[in-house]
Amino acid sequence: MNKKITVLIAVVVIAAALWVMNNQRNSATTTETAPVPETSAETPADTTTTESGEGSGGIAANVAAGYENILRLATWDEPNQNDPQKTTEYYSINFQIFDRLVEAVTAGPARSELVPGLAESWEVTDDGLTYTFNLRKGVKFHNGAEFTAKDVKYTFERMLWPETEAKNQDFIDPIKGSTEVMEGTAKELSGVEIVDDYTIKVTLKEPFAPFIASLATPSVSILNMEATEAAGADFGLVPEKTIGTGAYIFDKWVLRDELLVRRNDNYWRGAPELDGISWKVVQDADTMRLMFESGEIDVFDTAVAVSQIEYFANNPKYAGNLAIGDIADTNYYSFNQRIKPFDDVRVRKALQMAVDRQGMLDALFGGRGTLSYGIIARGIIGHNPDLPAIPYDPEAAKALLAEAGYPDGFEMTVTQIANQADTLAKNELFQSMMSEIGVKVTIDQMDSAAWYAVRADGDLPSYATYWAADYNDPDNFIYTFFAPGNTVRRSFNFNNEELSKRVVAARAITVPQERIKEYQALEKAIIQDEAAWIPLFQRQHIFVVNNRVEGFKVSWNGWSDGWYYYEGLRIKP
Amino acid sequence: MGRFIVNRILISVPVLIGVALILFLLLNVVPGDPVTVMMGEHIKPNLIEVFRERMRLDDPVLVRFARYIAGALRGDFGISYKLNREVGGLIAQSFPHTIKLSVYAALVAWLIGIPAGLFSAVKSNTLIDRAFMGFSLLGVSLPVFWAGLLMQYLFAYKLRWLPVNGYYSLKYFIMPAIVLGWGSAGTVARLTRSNLLEIMKNDFIRTARAKGLKESAVVTGHALKNAMLPVVTIMAMQVASLLGGAVMTESIFGIPGLGLIAVRAISMRDMPLLQGTILFSTALVIAGNLIADLLYGFLDPRIRVE
Repeated sequence: MNKKITVLIAVVVIAAALWVMNNQRNSATTTETAPVPETSAETPADTTTTESGEGSGGIAANVAAGYENILRLATWDEPNQNDPQKTTEYYSINFQIFDRLVEAVTAGPARSELVPGLAESWEVTDDGLTYTFNLRKGVKFHNGAEFTAKDVKYTFERMLWPETEAKNQDFIDPIKGSTEVMEGTAKELSGVEIVDDYTIKVTLKEPFAPFIASLATPSVSILNMEATEAAGADFGLVPEKTIGTGAYIFDKWVLRDELLVRRNDNYWRGAPELDGISWKVVQDADTMRLMFESGEIDVFDTAVAVSQIEYFANNPKYAGNLAIGDIADTNYYSFNQRIKPFDDVRVRKALQMAVDRQGMLDALFGGRGTLSYGIIARGIIGHNPDLPAIPYDPEAAKALLAEAGYPDGFEMTVTQIANQADTLAKNELFQSMMSEIGVKVTIDQMDSAAWYAVRADGDLPSYATYWAADYNDPDNFIYTFFAPGNTVRRSFNFNNEELSKRVVAARAITVPQERIKEYQALEKAIIQDEAAWIPLFQRQHIFVVNNRVEGFKVSWNGWSDGWYYYEGLRIKP
Repeated sequence: MGRFIVNRILISVPVLIGVALILFLLLNVVPGDPVTVMMGEHIKPNLIEVFRERMRLDDPVLVRFARYIAGALRGDFGISYKLNREVGGLIAQSFPHTIKLSVYAALVAWLIGIPAGLFSAVKSNTLIDRAFMGFSLLGVSLPVFWAGLLMQYLFAYKLRWLPVNGYYSLKYFIMPAIVLGWGSAGTVARLTRSNLLEIMKNDFIRTARAKGLKESAVVTGHALKNAMLPVVTIMAMQVASLLGGAVMTESIFGIPGLGLIAVRAISMRDMPLLQGTILFSTALVIAGNLIADLLYGFLDPRIRVE
């Protein structure tokens, strides 16, 4: 062993390391670079990275070389793919790159409005069964193809084909012939008829009043038949193959790092003011906050880290930077009526009264939100502000428990997905509130796979969760939870047959006032008379927006991502 | 020598298959159906069937395992449930980031650890020694996630010298490499120091001094070379611990390496991805140990395997 060999080894190791790194950088630039606007030719990516030290502009500038006017967002969990039909949770990209027949736009805080999208107008027959859509002419997909009626038909049918494995079929399964298509016995929807290139007629199995509203969800984004078929399994995964008509074009996706959309200059509503939007994937709340504070991202979404709310909300430095909106959600504790003693309505009512909603809201969310006593959230059509309050009254709760035969309380289990600190904090509060009336709560943490699986079988004990609106209609709340199969899949096992029947029947009522009346009656009966769950509160969504961004609005349903195409949203020069 | 390497590689095959089998069985025993996780809120029951059929999830465990191994031998590790991409491709894409991080961290460990150990040994029981050893103890004891956050707060947020997270150029790797390499640097420093002190007591050192060599020549020329043997082995074996630490470091600093996908695979019950990443990491650890053995024999002819 001599010195030369040692030196030689060291040199080889270092050279190999450098080679690997270099190689990797080269391959990264060749494979990951999608078309970039001409301006970027003058600023090679490498110089941008070496210069980007002083806070703002750093990261996004690197991946998005050439874009200055871009909105830089961060996401906790990147989409698993961006095929709108295959996701129930990742709509960030879908909103921007696709259009819907109708759009739900934010009309004000927690208020939405349906506006024509790719459908210019529509007529409904008096029996509420047939919808005729007049489609917009001259709309181009990102690949230059013109949008016509066949794309609409294709979109609906693809969503129902079993091989698509689409997830939000609920939204269009009221269409006639959907069952056959879903079962694979038919390829085409008998209820959809192309009248001409710009007219399409849709017939439903039975009247379904929220049909138009449900077409505004991102899941029913309109796809291009040729491009989607040609993309095959790459659709939603490969940016340049994921084509829509939307205001932005899917530009780049570096896995676990960043997603980027760029402006569609030929957008039929007019090109957006922003050059693009980027989503940086950051899986650590503290890191995300540091990135926001050092100016690397423009918007901090407190939903990813409830623990950071107090820091921002009480910091005078950020007083002018908060964008706050209602979330169209209902937070609740569930009861599984298959599990004793929750088959007894008196027990359920007792627990409803033993929860200090205000205390919970104060402790967990600094009091930001509204207490709920029903199902239908504020901001949703049919929300009932006059629902009687459920009092917080541990004494009355105890008396009711004694009447039901549990003077000394009982033991119950609350389940949650492991490692969700926010839920655990809530469950611990619940635990201490229940102990006041002698109910001993055990918190059982499960991993998410197990939790969902047991819940789908109808065997999950109580749990705390929330439901935020997909579309603005009470149907999205009441049917989702209390239709016969749905209540088992959510482990409620709500078993009042008469009410269940009314929940199903309510879908077919077409006169708006009658529908609302029926839904409000159902809400009162299910939650207050039957005490099917413990309603808690409705939260607010707080975003912290840095001074670079102007006109940021919280979307009507309070989702983390909305449609970033609206008046006034711009980056300050 | 050639036979030794071939033997070691052959032995690693049953180890890998064993690891795969244990993993496969474990993932089948724990409750919870990955399909339910993937499918979400509005799914229709018939679609779950379609999916199970496509993934052939209803076959017996051993049949699926055999199919998995057969695929793996051909280099096909299946398709990630959650990310909808080929596992092999995902690993190939993320591994360079992890390697890069580990190499930088190893450089930090050696460039800090060896000199620190050397100084401590030469100046043993002085203030310098105590300071270095205290520093290395700190490195060994500080959890990666905490050190990472502290550094981000100080250097990225307060002083604004470095970016908070990312992986785009050398600058982005400074903090992660230090965070990850610090612990190893501590181990290397302590090991260098104790070995050096041990060696310095030997007769041949006294001989070297007696023939009039300068102290610096004695230390670097005679003592250090001998003291480095176990250190080199440890350094090769640290590959495993660096990879383990990389999991945390990657999530804190947003480096899209193996660790990030492994963590995600676990929380999403993404079986193909989880199996792929764990098998791959197992192979790396085996390779690291093999290299350590070979290096040892190479550096010290006395124990070279016949």
